[in-house]
Amino acid sequence: MKQERFVALHREAWNELQHWLDLVERKQRQALRSPRAGGFPAEYRRLCHHLALARARGYSREVTDRLQRMVQQGHRLLYRPPAPRWHRALTFLIAGFPRLVRSEWRCMAAAAVLFFGPALFCLIALQFHPEWAHSIFGSGQLAEFEKMYDPSNDKIGRSSGTDMAMFGTYVMNNVSIAFRTFASGLVLGVGAVYVLAANGVIIGGVAGHLTQMGYGGPFWRFVAAHAAFELTALVIAGGAGLRLGLTLLAPGRQRRGPAMVAAGWIGAQLALGAFAMLLVAAAIEAFWSSIAWFPNVLKFGSAALLWVLVIGWLWRGGAEGGDGA
Amino acid sequence: MLDTLRQIETPEGVFLRLRAAGALPRAQAWTIDFVLRMLVFWAGMIPLSLLGRAGAGVGALLMFVLMWAYAVVCEVWFGGQTLGKRAMGLRVVSADGAPVTLVPSVLRNLLRVVDILPGVYAVGLASTLIDPYGRRLGDVIAGTLVIHGGELPAGSQVPSVAPVAPPPGLAADEQAVIVEFAERCAQLTPQRQQELADLLQPLTGCTGEAGVQRLLGYANWLLGRA
Repeated sequence: MKQERFVALHREAWNELQHWLDLVERKQRQALRSPRAGGFPAEYRRLCHHLALARARGYSREVTDRLQRMVQQGHRLLYRPPAPRWHRALTFLIAGFPRLVRSEWRCMAAAAVLFFGPALFCLIALQFHPEWAHSIFGSGQLAEFEKMYDPSNDKIGRSSGTDMAMFGTYVMNNVSIAFRTFASGLVLGVGAVYVLAANGVIIGGVAGHLTQMGYGGPFWRFVAAHAAFELTALVIAGGAGLRLGLTLLAPGRQRRGPAMVAAGWIGAQLALGAFAMLLVAAAIEAFWSSIAWFPNVLKFGSAALLWVLVIGWLWRGGAEGGDGA
Repeated sequence: MLDTLRQIETPEGVFLRLRAAGALPRAQAWTIDFVLRMLVFWAGMIPLSLLGRAGAGVGALLMFVLMWAYAVVCEVWFGGQTLGKRAMGLRVVSADGAPVTLVPSVLRNLLRVVDILPGVYAVGLASTLIDPYGRRLGDVIAGTLVIHGGELPAGSQVPSVAPVAPPPGLAADEQAVIVEFAERCAQLTPQRQQELADLLQPLTGCTGEAGVQRLLGYANWLLGRA
C-alpha cells in the first residue's frame, strides 16, 4: 500500500486519538471518565500496529514520526503508576516492612552491633571514667545537655521551644540522619558504619555522662519511650545502607548491576519504613516524652509497652503460620 | 555509536525512542528547582515567623518537605517532572520507558546524597560522563533515566511536484534517502540542495536545479502521489 493511501485511510482515527491524548494531558480526570477511555487500550494497540507497518514498509518520517510521538504519549498513559492507595501503604507498614527487615536480618544484626556496641561501651565506661566525657564533647555541649535534663525543669529533654517547634525539628533532623545513613552506605558501606558508630558514641556518651552525674532520672524518663522507635529506625536505615555497600563489594552470584538494583529496591523500602517509624518517634518525643510530671510507673510502663510493641511487630508482623523468614 | 538514543521494545512490539539527557540541562533544571524551593521556603517563613516558636517547628517541617519529598511527589504523581525539569523539557522514566513509580523515585532521590558528595555534584557529574545514557549513580541503582520529554521534530512535508518514476532497482534504504532529502529540502539553501542533488547525478542524469526537481519528483512517486 502506498503511503498516501495508508494515511488517507487512517488519518481520521489518528486525529481523534491525538485529540483525546492531548485532552488527557490537560484534564486527566475528565478524559479518563469519558466512555472513550474504555476503548483506549485497543486503539493504542492498533496504533502500535500502524507504526510497525509504517516502519516495515519504509514510509517517510512524516508518517513514522507522527505515529512514534503518539505511541510514546499513549505508552506513558497506559503504563502510568497506579494511584496511591492507603490500604497498600498500611499493608506494607504492618506486614511487608517487618518481613523485609527479617529477610535482611544479617545486615540488621550487624548494624545493631555497630550502633549499640559503642553506645553501651560509652555508657559503661563513663561510669568509671567520668572525665572521658570531655574527650567526646566540648564543655559547651556538656553544659547544654545538663541544662536540658536538669531535674528542676518543668519540661524535660529541651532547654527551650514548644511541642510543635520540637516536633518539626525532630522530624527534620532525625529523618535526615536516617536517610543519610542509608544513602552513605553506597560508599562501600563505610558511610553507614561511620554514622552508626558515631551516633552510638554520642548517644551512649550523653547517657553515660548524665547518669554518672545524677541526672539519670529525667534523662531515662525522657528517652525511654521514643527510643523504641527512634533507635530501631536508625539501626534499620543503617542496615539497609550496609546491605547496599556489601552488595557493591560482593554481589554474590549475580552481575554487579542487577544486584545493586535489587539491593536498592529493598533499601528504598526499608528507608520508607524507617521514615514512618521516625515520624511516630518524633510525635512521641515532642508530645509525650517531654511531660515531666507523669509518675515513673506511667513513663516506664508506656516505654516498656512500646518496646514490646516494636519488637513484636518486627519479629512477627506479616508472618504466616510460623515461617521464620 | 556515539548516541544517547535508547530504543526500548514495548510489549506491543514497537520501539520507544528515549533521548537521554546530559549533565548540563539537568544541572539547569536542578538550579531552577533550587531557586524555587528557596523562594517557597522564604515565602513560607514570613507568616510562620509571626507564630513564634511553633512557627519554627512548622518551618522545619516545610524544609523537610521541600528537601526530601518535593522531588518524589513531583516525579511520581506529576508525570516524572519537577518544575525545573518541566521548564527544561526533561522527564524521569524507568529504564524500560514506563513512567517512574514510587520506590525507584524514592531511591534515586535518597542517593542524591552520594551524587552530591565531595562538593557540587562531583560524583554525579563523573557518573553522567561515564555512563552511556548520562545517568548519575542514583539513576543507575534505581533503574531510572532522565530523558528529553519533547520528541524530535516530526518530518516536514514533501513539496508537491509532478511524480516521476525513479529507475527500477532502488533498495528500500535508498528510497528512504530520497524521501528524506525531499522532506528536508525546504530547510536547506538552494545551493546546498543542488550540491546534495549533484551527488546523485549518476541516478538522475542531471545537475543543478533540474536534479533537485527530479529528486522531488521521485519522492512524490515513492509516496504514491499521482
